[in-house]
Amino acid sequence: MVLELHVWGPAFGLPSIDAECLAAIAYLARTTSRSEYRLVQTSPSAVPTHHLPALHKPSANTWISGFSPIISHLRSFPSPSFHDDSPPHHGDSTAYSAFLTAHAAPLIALSLYVSSANYAATTRPAYSAILPFPLPWTEPPAIRASMSLRAAHLGLSSLDTDAAEDASIAEEKAAAAAGWVHIPASLSAQLKSKSVKDALTPEQAARIKLDGLAREVLDVLAEADWDRMVLSARCLAYGYLALMAVPDVPRPWLREVLLQGGYPSLCELVGRFRGPEALAAEKLPWEESAAHSGQSSLVAGLNVGARFAQGLIYDIPGIGEEWRRWWARRRKRSVRRPEDTAGLTQKRRDMSASGADTLLVAGVGMAAVLAVNAGFFLYRSGVPSFGAPVHSWQMVRAGLSSFGAAGAMFSGLNA
Amino acid sequence: MSTTWNSIPVPRPLQQLFDSVPLVTYDANALPTRAQSNTLCQLPTLYVFASERDARLGLPSYNPSCLKWQTFLKLAGVEFRIVPSTNHASPTGALPFLLPVRTSPTTTAAAAASSAPIPASRLQRYALDHGSRPPPPNAKTLRLDAYQALLDVPIRNAWLHTLYLEPENSPLLEKLYVTWASSSGWVQGTIRHQLGRAAEGEILKTSSSLSAAGAGELDEDAVYSAARDALNALASLLAESETGWFFSATAPTLFDASVFAYTHLMLQVLSEADGEDAARLGVLVGQAGSGELRSHQQRIYQMLWPSQIWSEGESQADKTQ
Repeated sequence: MVLELHVWGPAFGLPSIDAECLAAIAYLARTTSRSEYRLVQTSPSAVPTHHLPALHKPSANTWISGFSPIISHLRSFPSPSFHDDSPPHHGDSTAYSAFLTAHAAPLIALSLYVSSANYAATTRPAYSAILPFPLPWTEPPAIRASMSLRAAHLGLSSLDTDAAEDASIAEEKAAAAAGWVHIPASLSAQLKSKSVKDALTPEQAARIKLDGLAREVLDVLAEADWDRMVLSARCLAYGYLALMAVPDVPRPWLREVLLQGGYPSLCELVGRFRGPEALAAEKLPWEESAAHSGQSSLVAGLNVGARFAQGLIYDIPGIGEEWRRWWARRRKRSVRRPEDTAGLTQKRRDMSASGADTLLVAGVGMAAVLAVNAGFFLYRSGVPSFGAPVHSWQMVRAGLSSFGAAGAMFSGLNA
Repeated sequence: MSTTWNSIPVPRPLQQLFDSVPLVTYDANALPTRAQSNTLCQLPTLYVFASERDARLGLPSYNPSCLKWQTFLKLAGVEFRIVPSTNHASPTGALPFLLPVRTSPTTTAAAAASSAPIPASRLQRYALDHGSRPPPPNAKTLRLDAYQALLDVPIRNAWLHTLYLEPENSPLLEKLYVTWASSSGWVQGTIRHQLGRAAEGEILKTSSSLSAAGAGELDEDAVYSAARDALNALASLLAESETGWFFSATAPTLFDASVFAYTHLMLQVLSEADGEDAARLGVLVGQAGSGELRSHQQRIYQMLWPSQIWSEGESQADKTQ
């Protein structure tokens, strides 16, 4: 029986761009042989659970997603495959895993997603490399938005200079539109006060706070005795620490704290997992996504198109949220999961969407189609295309003809 | 802008109107007299989510963060009374907060400053300064931070899910947070909807499954199995301790209070609701480890609310007769 692990694709020289996917890959690579599983590079919109990593058992057609559900499912297999033989110390392992998801993830969000410079130079190109063509337009911005939400409680949205820049441009435009006085750009640049703080990048300005945040988290992790933890906790630590240490970003505050801040044990942990024997991206049993499902390229293209359209709908303000809710509920019914591994007493609720729901979605869909059509016709009928000036004045050519009858008499001479 | 405003001449009709009806700013109204008498008390007042009856008897609040601080203040030996309140009353926008003793009506600025409300973030300091038996400080170990994350993420998520999103618990939610806020059906419906959405948002924000998923993607099996693992981890931590309190402290600490706040509510409040899904968390607490968390909860409860145990015992005895 071959399992399929659907993960985000490789980036930064690591097998995956996502911490939990990295951890799941590391766990499989450590506990079983290459012949027992396949890695499928994909994105969440392509799997029915909409969350990666996702474990697919083709024989039973069941899906499990999320790192810890996958691990607890793998542990239910008969030994020795998918089991680690390390002495268990479950309490600490659970606690530190929770700590990693609660505190290390926001740090990575700050470093790779919120910080505009790092996102533009490193993260966005990495996503563009692993996603098929139109998807880099919809998926990375959505991920960035959710990551910013995740780091919002740290209060460092100042790293996102894109947002600040947009705001200041909008402000200037509003001032210019309402203003009686117009200051030319060349002068207004001089008018703005130049302090030391203006010359610093946002990362430099917030450096002390960033260092403090990183140290608070890394101190706790460094004190832990990772050798006594179960393998899954170590894999998770590797996933998060590798994303801190490995990506080559232009504003490497997190990397500097980890590598030069006196955390040799953590660096060693990353090094051990990245060692020569394990986890080189080319040694892993990757599978081409299109080939594995035996689809023709046309079907694959349509699939990508549908995912792209889905991403576009999510972005419509107001409607997108409801649509996503409705779609998720629909999908939940179609996903088959293996029998309850958690052992919790539970009954399956009938998640059937009510008729009112369907009506609502149909209505919203109609309204959206109408709006798009109306917009299109409005666009065709007279509104100038994007960026074109709304009015244009042409300077009257001062020729001899503007001098009245006498000018007209002489204008013939010019031509 | 302001200079241009001044230089614009006021149209004559408007000028005449304002001349005949001058704009006057009145002084702020004085507080109603009952406000002074309500806050004037020999004891500091802790504002929490609670029912009127529970507040009069000083019983545990039904909100985890309120119960945490209520427990801690009682552990520290601070004498206080509790008053039911809502988030809107709090200067920080969140309960609990504490109003220190005020012996005279606040007329002077100095008196007002000394009786400024104390938000939850400064309650620990207050308890240590004013308590008759200050509890030992939290253990000086970074391991505590890791275990604190268990309370902040998986256990809190499970609590939010059970109370706010579990359909079987909606009568309980109505009773605790919705009904007394307003008698209007429309307002109640809105509050219910907002509470549900807010809880869902909070769970998604902390769980790792946020990354690409979004609204409506909540995986409840994952929420509860994470909570079960977390409770087991806490039970095993408690089993390591020699004194029966977390991290082998000589007396219960703030961490004990935070654990108690959740375990007590999971065992007591949820047991009032019927339906097995509703009581699921209480069952998990009871099963964690070999019952360490349940006995921990009972010990703190007996220590702080001894009379309550009696009356509960009596009422049960009445029932059996």
